[in-house]
Amino acid sequence: MTGARYRGAGKSVRQTILLVVASALLLVWVFPLIWAVVVSLKSETEVLAYPPRIFFEPTLENYRDALFGGVSILPSLGTSFIVSSVTTLLTIVIAVPAAYAFARLRLRGKKALGFYTLATQMVPPVGLVIPYFLILNKVGWLDSYQGMIIVYLTFSLPFAIWLMVSYMEDIPREMEEAAFLDKASRFQTLWHVILPQVRGGIAVTVIFVFLNAWNEFLFAVQLGGNTVRPVTVAMYNFVSVEQTLWAKLSAAALIAMVPMIAIGIAAQRQIVKGLTVGAVKGGGRQ
Amino acid sequence: MTDGLTTRAEHAGRVTLRGIRKTFGSFEALRGIDLDIEPVEFFALLGPSGSGKTTTLRVLAGLEIPDEGVMTLDGVDVTHAQPGARDVAMVFQNYALYPHMTLEANIAFPLKMDGVPKSEIPGLVREAAARVKIDHLLHRRPGQLSGGQQQRCALARAIVRKPRLFLLDEPLSNLDAQLRLETRVELKKLQRSLDVTTVYVTHDQEEAMTVADRMAIFLDGDIAQVGTPGEVFNRPRSMDVAAFIGSPPMNLIPGRLEGAEVTIGDYRFTLPRPPDHPPGAVVVGVRPAHISLGSSGLPAALYLSENLGESMLLNLSFGEQIIKVRLPEVRRFADNERLHLVPDPSYVHLFDPQTRLRLE
Repeated sequence: MTGARYRGAGKSVRQTILLVVASALLLVWVFPLIWAVVVSLKSETEVLAYPPRIFFEPTLENYRDALFGGVSILPSLGTSFIVSSVTTLLTIVIAVPAAYAFARLRLRGKKALGFYTLATQMVPPVGLVIPYFLILNKVGWLDSYQGMIIVYLTFSLPFAIWLMVSYMEDIPREMEEAAFLDKASRFQTLWHVILPQVRGGIAVTVIFVFLNAWNEFLFAVQLGGNTVRPVTVAMYNFVSVEQTLWAKLSAAALIAMVPMIAIGIAAQRQIVKGLTVGAVKGGGRQ
Repeated sequence: MTDGLTTRAEHAGRVTLRGIRKTFGSFEALRGIDLDIEPVEFFALLGPSGSGKTTTLRVLAGLEIPDEGVMTLDGVDVTHAQPGARDVAMVFQNYALYPHMTLEANIAFPLKMDGVPKSEIPGLVREAAARVKIDHLLHRRPGQLSGGQQQRCALARAIVRKPRLFLLDEPLSNLDAQLRLETRVELKKLQRSLDVTTVYVTHDQEEAMTVADRMAIFLDGDIAQVGTPGEVFNRPRSMDVAAFIGSPPMNLIPGRLEGAEVTIGDYRFTLPRPPDHPPGAVVVGVRPAHISLGSSGLPAALYLSENLGESMLLNLSFGEQIIKVRLPEVRRFADNERLHLVPDPSYVHLFDPQTRLRLE
């Protein structure tokens, strides 16, 4: 009995240590975020006060300015949303069947194609900015939605295909063969049998692709402009040669985070569902 | 009107395979097999792993296209037909249930894909589920079921559509021993009541012997023998079949044949029905249960005795060879005891050592 008590004590000590370490790590990660929240609630003069004041009168003025002021980020939020969602949608529509083909069909040169797909991820993006600029300029797609989305697709597709292949390969082949014997076509098999089982994988892919497109700055600032001005670029309105409006910049950044958090929460349910389906996969196989 | 699962006169389910050959890389899985399966028959494909039995089943299902050869189903060439176009159903070794669907949806899936009117589906699903006694679990998902229940669900999904051909790939191998014995009996009864041609793959000869009307013995990508369980057991066509069938299998001892007289070492005995064969070397096959102990006979030393409860299995060394003898009663023996073995001449099988085939 004493042994059990000692073990219990050991466990709680371990848990406490774990909690302290985890909190410390979390704090390092969360600190900039907290700082941004605090800054966004201050007035511009208070932001620059030295030493920084812990107690101040919080104001929502910056949020109002960022959203509805002279240099509102609202239209840019719309732009970001269009670019990110169309990129994500096209990525999923193309990547899912492509990944299925990679995972299942016996194709000549499949391995080489797989490596090529992954290799495109190894090119540093900076090296591509100028070629893409020249290409888009030539076809007249600079500062256009289609130009921006196509550029984003060149990054998101290889990544999404590579990610989805691993999810597809996890599904036992017999499950598909059972569907074929049940008179399902290949498309019906993909739709009724495969897709529901890779829902979690699709959710993960959606988050990654959307997040990358939403956060992208380098290409947006070079290849976009007035028509296509995503929120990452628009935020730079608060940074000028003379001054940087830190409070408004913080407010804008926090506003820009909201859709991401919403998507994360929405997708989380799918991810968990996907994981639980995965847990019973393969039935009674021993 | 829904026709019951039993009436299906329009489906015969006669299968022929001719010269089926299939290789995977350099591995020759099937070396040109011929097979005829009669309508409504319960046919077992029996063999050790890698012998080609599962490949044959997959050829029947359309999941493998043979490199050579022709398969017909009720007289129609289906060698290159898609699995879905053959009207066959299969139970996979790991059941391959759709984990994201309830049992009801799993069983309904083939009906849905087959274009059965929506109003008829629930009734058919319930009927099939009731047959395998899982109708109280229809709202559950495969992950919430035991192995035995999953297996029943896989059966229900296969029978719900009234297929022309019913394929079972080692369906009992994932069940525990007790459940396997029970399910074996139920499977046989189910097959009788359904009247569907059934092909059953197993590596367990006892299973094949008990459920099958006829069976094919697969060895090294070839069919070594086709026959009823009785034929295969009592008249093995070759030494290889003889060495595979039976638990433990037949003793194969080198000897000589002269007319009706067989000689093993110094021991001689006369066959009641001697084969028409010129004098010469033969291999004498005799099952462990068909050897008794006597005062004179084949001299052998006891190597190990195994008490099986109701019977006893003796391992005796005869020269370089181990001969197995099954005694109907348990007795005590001394270590290395010298015993005399008397094979029952009516149950002696003879094989040609060159061709390895049975001598008649």
